[in-house]
Amino acid sequence: MITRKRVVLGFIGTNLDAAGSLSQPERWESWRPTVSLCQHPDFVVDRIELFTEKAHRALSKTITEDIRTTSPETEVHVHVLGIRDPWDFQDVYEGLFDFASGYDFDPEREDYLVHITTGTHVAQICLFLLTESRRIPGQLLQSEPPRGRKGQTRSSKHPSPGKFSIIDLDLARYDRLATRFAAEHEQAQDFLKDGIATKSATFNLLIEKIETVALRSTEPILLMGPTGAGKSRLAARIFELRQQRCGLNGNFVELNCATLRGDTAASMLFGHKRGAFTGAQNDRPGLLREADKGLLFLDEIGELGADEQAMLLRALEEKSFLPVGSDKPMHSDFQLIAGTNRDLRKSIGSGNFRDDLFSRINLWTFDLPSLADRREDIAPNIEYELAERARTHGHTVTFNKEARDRFLTFAKKVDTPWLGNFRDLNAAVTRMSALAPRGRIRVQEVEEEITRLQANWQRPDEANRANFMDCLNDLLTEQQISTIDPFDRPQLAYTISVIRESRTLSEAGRKLFAVSREKKSKRPNDADRLRKYLAKFGLSFEAIR
Amino acid sequence: MNMLKIDGQDGGGQLLRTSLSLSLVTGEPFSMTAIRGQRAKPGLMRQHLTAVNAAIEISGGSADGAVLGSTELVFAPQRVKGGDYRFSIGTAGSTCLLYQALLPALLLANEPSTLRLEGGTHNPMAPTFDFLSECFLPVLQKMGADVELELERYGFYPAGGGSLLAKVEPCTGGLKPIELLDRGKPLRREIRVISAHVPDSVGEREGAIVLGVLEAAGWGVEGVSVRSVDSAGAGNVVCAALQSEQVCEMTIAFGERGKSGKRVAHDAAKAMRDYLGTGAVVGRRLADQLLLPIALAGAGEFLTMKPSKHTLTNAALIQQFLDVKIDISEQEDGQWKVSVSPSA
Repeated sequence: MITRKRVVLGFIGTNLDAAGSLSQPERWESWRPTVSLCQHPDFVVDRIELFTEKAHRALSKTITEDIRTTSPETEVHVHVLGIRDPWDFQDVYEGLFDFASGYDFDPEREDYLVHITTGTHVAQICLFLLTESRRIPGQLLQSEPPRGRKGQTRSSKHPSPGKFSIIDLDLARYDRLATRFAAEHEQAQDFLKDGIATKSATFNLLIEKIETVALRSTEPILLMGPTGAGKSRLAARIFELRQQRCGLNGNFVELNCATLRGDTAASMLFGHKRGAFTGAQNDRPGLLREADKGLLFLDEIGELGADEQAMLLRALEEKSFLPVGSDKPMHSDFQLIAGTNRDLRKSIGSGNFRDDLFSRINLWTFDLPSLADRREDIAPNIEYELAERARTHGHTVTFNKEARDRFLTFAKKVDTPWLGNFRDLNAAVTRMSALAPRGRIRVQEVEEEITRLQANWQRPDEANRANFMDCLNDLLTEQQISTIDPFDRPQLAYTISVIRESRTLSEAGRKLFAVSREKKSKRPNDADRLRKYLAKFGLSFEAIR
Repeated sequence: MNMLKIDGQDGGGQLLRTSLSLSLVTGEPFSMTAIRGQRAKPGLMRQHLTAVNAAIEISGGSADGAVLGSTELVFAPQRVKGGDYRFSIGTAGSTCLLYQALLPALLLANEPSTLRLEGGTHNPMAPTFDFLSECFLPVLQKMGADVELELERYGFYPAGGGSLLAKVEPCTGGLKPIELLDRGKPLRREIRVISAHVPDSVGEREGAIVLGVLEAAGWGVEGVSVRSVDSAGAGNVVCAALQSEQVCEMTIAFGERGKSGKRVAHDAAKAMRDYLGTGAVVGRRLADQLLLPIALAGAGEFLTMKPSKHTLTNAALIQQFLDVKIDISEQEDGQWKVSVSPSA
């Protein structure tokens, strides 16, 4: 068996280790941190590296001899560090840093304990920093004198070497602390989820990651996900969490970029000088400025115009920007969360989104699943909505069992699309609650709501598209239709619908070729062009009319 | 393998040392569990580990669990070899205890040994060098042992730094049985105070107090010696010794911080007064220490005071290793008789 060596590093204490007079044997009756450390019956120091200054040569000699006397197992090395002023932070840190850099640490075979009981407070701080940053790959060692008077313990009449404790800076190793951390994590995650006991494993894992990132990083976060997946709610919760835990003390400023239009877009975000453009009556600080030391949530960031994208990038990188019409940069140090429901990569491809801005905000990207992808969370969300409603409206609404089962069965069905995600679910609960007689949602309300939801999801253009294509069936057999590319079918259907609204072939031709005919210098024959087109499908104006 | 199993729950370091001694002389391996089970810090402390390592070294043996704080140990000796050995005990652990643990094995080795032991030489809770050389060793010499023990430097707790030099000649033919049933005539009475870095006046006062108590008990003391010795740390030991024709008894008390010289002196004096009063031949501590050598001799008996729990535990352990029978019985006059005989 290979036994690891225990190596202690520490300063020789000029007061406590000297214990008054060096030459006097009474020193053995006193608690001397460095010597006592080597006197524990259940703790062997295999090697001790002692730091001292030139002025304390006699002291280090006595300490070395005393350790050898009482602890023959211990190898003693004394290092004179080039510290001129033991109270000067830079001086001490440099001295210890140089020692640590030059020391041949062998953590595979040796355990290092950094004794922080001796030395000036400055020395103790430096040792802590070096250990914490792993320049010294060890743990801290703290020793304390025996309780009772003058180096005696009550139980034993003999001088005791006191007590010591090893402080591992890996806080997760302490059971009680670990429990606390776990509780705190849970609390934070719970907070991000609005206290909803979500069951979706993907979603919970996502929240766990977001919690870590939200608390440890101030870099931009990108939340992707369909409308209604809860991006803006999550952004607000991240802000509140940072407010509680990270001392974020600015404002939460929220903007949906899809609402920005024209001149006012830049001004809304970056502010303007009075008179910068027509209608700019007063100075306006802009949302970036408002979010200084706070958090800015830009939803639908993909809708941001090209100029605004460039300005935002600069603001992120330099923490300053130029308000519209101003040549004086404005400062703002804000944290950014961006939301998007579309794949920004595609927007980059089509030239609608800046590559460099995307790289800047794509550091922490989280994809929020749609409600359809986390149907197991529907039940907890319904409970949450009902509880919220009870809290804000002051009366409780509940489902009867049958109604609840009916609604959940519908909600969890694979072909229930939940196109509006949580927005739809919340609206459904709100409507059912409002309509429920005496606060009781019955099967009747549920059935009505299901019809309503399905009607909502029936997009009008989808319905039209279906009807619009029906005309093909009027004129052609299934056999014939199947020979036409699906790509060509709508064109034909549209042509047919225009012909049916036109009195003559020429009128229909003018409508259908309205753009190209303008460019032609010669008088175009639209009717002929249309006739030939129809002939390809075996159709004629007359047949269609 | 049918290994001896020893439960350390009720024992201390002595149970471990005696087990090591017995294992070394018999060649019998043993396993011990719950080492120093009821101590505040159970398991092997540094001084015990030094003893285990020394036993390994002189016997070429091996051990499992020979690490600090271990509460389980398996020890298997090979052949004990005499030679020049040196062991240092940290935390001013007792060199005298280590000497007693190794001595039986070295006596039975084929080669002579010199043993230099460094650490404490005068520790409370352990026999002192004076006790070994004046009480314990003379009995062993009577039993045929050729041993010398020299104090090179005093070592007191907690500094230590003391040193013993021991010479051990092979005891060919083994130890001889001994009977100690009568003290014989008193030859020498002595009060001795040994001090290091303690004013002479303290020692003189302590000596005078012991003298006072013992004179009142009808003891004509020839002399009080107050010795001032050099040592790393401070120390103060008060001894009262009665050398009789057959045996020597020495009672000892230690000066400690927070304990008055007067109390130290009284402790040493009262212990001697008890010994005188019972009329026992062998004092309580010596009885404990002689059990093992007499058991090795195979037979012997002595009269002593009421045995301590320590002695009873020790006797039980010895009978686990050796084919001897140890009888401890109270006599009519309040003395106790310890008889060792070959088991039937």
